[in-house]
Amino acid sequence: MDPETFISKYEPKKMVAISLAVLAVALAILGFTYLKTGSPVNLGVEFTGGTIITVPVVESEGEITAKLAGYPVLDIREVGHRFMIQLGPMDDAEYRELSAMIDAEYQDPEIKYMGPVYSKRLQEQAKTYIPLSFLFMAVVVFLIFRTPFVSMTVILAAFSDIVIAAACMTLAGVDLSLGTVAALLMLIGYSVDSNILLNNRVLKRKGRTEEKVLGAFKTGIAMTSTTLSAVFALFLVSAFSYLVSSSFTQINILFDISIVLIFGLLAGLMNTWVMNSNALRWYLARPKKAGARRHKR
Amino acid sequence: MTEITKDPRVIIFFAAVIASLLILAPMPGDGGLQTRLKYGLDLEGGSWLQLKLQGAIVQPQLDPIKILEKQFGDALNRPVEVEWRQGSTEYTIVVEGRATKAQVDDLGYPQSTVTPRGNATRITISASPVGVMMNYLQTSLDSDVKYLGPDPLSFEIRSNVTRESLEEILAVVGGTLAPGDAGFSEGVTEETVDETKQILDRKLNRLGLADIKVRVVDNKFILIDLAGVTVTDAQDIVGKPGIFEIRIQTTANESIHVLYGGEIVDVSLPTGDQSGNWGVPFTLSEEGALAFQKAAIDTGATRNRMDHEVSMHLDNELIFSAPLAPDLAASLEVAPLRSMVAQVGSDSQRAHDLYIHLREGALPVNVEIIGSGQVTAALGDQFKKQVFIAGVLAMLAAGLMVFLRYRNPKIVVPMVATSFSEVLMMLAVAALLNWQLDLAAIAGLIVVIGTGIDHLVIITDELLYEGKMPSGKVYLARLSSAFGIIMAAAATTIVAMLPLFGMGFGAFKSFALITIAGVLIGVFIARPAYGRIVGKIMQAGQ
Repeated sequence: MDPETFISKYEPKKMVAISLAVLAVALAILGFTYLKTGSPVNLGVEFTGGTIITVPVVESEGEITAKLAGYPVLDIREVGHRFMIQLGPMDDAEYRELSAMIDAEYQDPEIKYMGPVYSKRLQEQAKTYIPLSFLFMAVVVFLIFRTPFVSMTVILAAFSDIVIAAACMTLAGVDLSLGTVAALLMLIGYSVDSNILLNNRVLKRKGRTEEKVLGAFKTGIAMTSTTLSAVFALFLVSAFSYLVSSSFTQINILFDISIVLIFGLLAGLMNTWVMNSNALRWYLARPKKAGARRHKR
Repeated sequence: MTEITKDPRVIIFFAAVIASLLILAPMPGDGGLQTRLKYGLDLEGGSWLQLKLQGAIVQPQLDPIKILEKQFGDALNRPVEVEWRQGSTEYTIVVEGRATKAQVDDLGYPQSTVTPRGNATRITISASPVGVMMNYLQTSLDSDVKYLGPDPLSFEIRSNVTRESLEEILAVVGGTLAPGDAGFSEGVTEETVDETKQILDRKLNRLGLADIKVRVVDNKFILIDLAGVTVTDAQDIVGKPGIFEIRIQTTANESIHVLYGGEIVDVSLPTGDQSGNWGVPFTLSEEGALAFQKAAIDTGATRNRMDHEVSMHLDNELIFSAPLAPDLAASLEVAPLRSMVAQVGSDSQRAHDLYIHLREGALPVNVEIIGSGQVTAALGDQFKKQVFIAGVLAMLAAGLMVFLRYRNPKIVVPMVATSFSEVLMMLAVAALLNWQLDLAAIAGLIVVIGTGIDHLVIITDELLYEGKMPSGKVYLARLSSAFGIIMAAAATTIVAMLPLFGMGFGAFKSFALITIAGVLIGVFIARPAYGRIVGKIMQAGQ
């Protein structure tokens, strides 16, 4: 399907409805997770508290499990030439003993311990800061556009980007970590740029709406594809570089950031070019009378 | 093409790029060529600890007389009568039957007289109302308590305590807490945080650990970064006190062991007398006092005090040495002594140092390790290589995307060059401002490569709206329209990043910083110049 057909063939309301349906599904996923776990996304160890250890694979999973018997091991996974071991709460003495054992037994271990005080604080911060960040963005968008309808569509698109990205995290089994929070915040900031481009082109230029949308679409695709390709490079290196060299491993923090950005950028494509472009088409094509009546009220 | 070299935007851009190259150029330093870039622990190798200082600042309302009635009543198992005159620093406790001085000592009132009078006993203790309250709080909470001031009467409790448990303890003697946050607030005073930080700094310095960063957050968290140390060692360093030892000189170069720090049951804050002599009072346990007396007599220190100095050592390092005071030497001949003062002379700082040492380098408050971790240097190196590859790949991938879109080297080359220059400038800013590049920062950098090129695409497409590069007014109008979009996106990104400065003790501060720096550099330095340059190049070709 060529871009022209994609932009102008379909009924605007139908396209907006499809996008909103996707948003609704994403919200349902978050809601379901919330009912199940008490939090809209699955919380990673930074938010729940616990210990993560990674060590090089020098033995079988059975052997390392045996070595760690007696410690509250939740999960052992092999990630790119390393075992990633996740452990539940331990008291101070137990943790010291464990970290001393790991340091003595393995070359280049990575250890991370997040106590309940830390994780509780982090949870509270996330609850305050993510909405705050969104609110800041919304204020800036309002200041830029000053038109309620346009501002609302841009903000709705950003909201939908984040919700869909978060829902995709749940589906892909990516837990909320500091890295994913950073990526979600980044999405809040960046989700608006293609929308701003679209609105600028369509509202400030003369010409047929569909043509203007099409021009913006071509630019927008190029924009998202450059960002997406850079993020994808980050994703590949963080997730799969261990396949190339045995000394490489997965880098969780980069994996978290890149995968959430990929989800969000893809959601952004839909929200800008399926939802908002059609919302704009509908907005501009709406009967003028209705608009006039609304203004008088 | 001559006028473009005079365009201030272009001049600023090239000046910034040259400055960045100079800043980033490797310089010969210790161990070969080094750039000025600093890496975070996760790339350099090391460990980190996040400590929470346990404590609370409280304003209790307490009656010392009720406290003494309770303390002495419980200890002696019968009701007592407490007498006190307003303004006095002596309390008199009258009790039926007999009581011993040891019983009073055990309650923590060492300066007392116990006089039998008929069927009853009169105990006079020397203590101020505040002293009694502190004693009660200390013993019932089993914690250090610091008096903060009389108005309003407030104390710092140096251990983990909840409002509820404290209220229970106060209720026993008819006391209450002032309502609200004023009555009880979690945390410790700034001085205590400072003191804790100083002790940690000293401890780490004594171990000769290079490159230590001890930071305080919110007045109750202390964060320590230790390059090149395993997390196990780091926890030992912070958690375990040093080994404190008192020795007495036998001959010129030899001394014998007297006691270890475990025998020191209490150390008071340094006090100065009228003539400006500072001393640190400390109290020995009963066994400690006996050992001290025996050693002092055995070595001859009580008779020939100048030749047999008493020395104090922390982790085998001599920190204090002085002869016995004449009156102390004389008293020790007769009986063991529990309370002593280490006199340091007129140097109050030295007194303070000794105070810290006498506490065996123990921290003034209880600390809870709330987070810790480590990355070894070899693993960090591995990460460094991988993120370098990721950065190069990201740049190539983004370059390929713009090539596929424009297929015109006149656009693609300036675009990729501009993007690369933005990376250089970001790194230069990081080097200049001493930011630590950690994994999060590099992730931010790579993402900014992507979004930076995406803004260059906006500029290019706005300029080429009619399919060719316009000139004059139209060119400027298009350029400002492009910048309207970019500025808006930059503004939303910056505000969205702000929360990261506070989250998780700033673990992603570097990500936010580099992103914001990248956005600002892009918007104010690189992209304006790109707009001019690509405009000129395209116009020249038409």
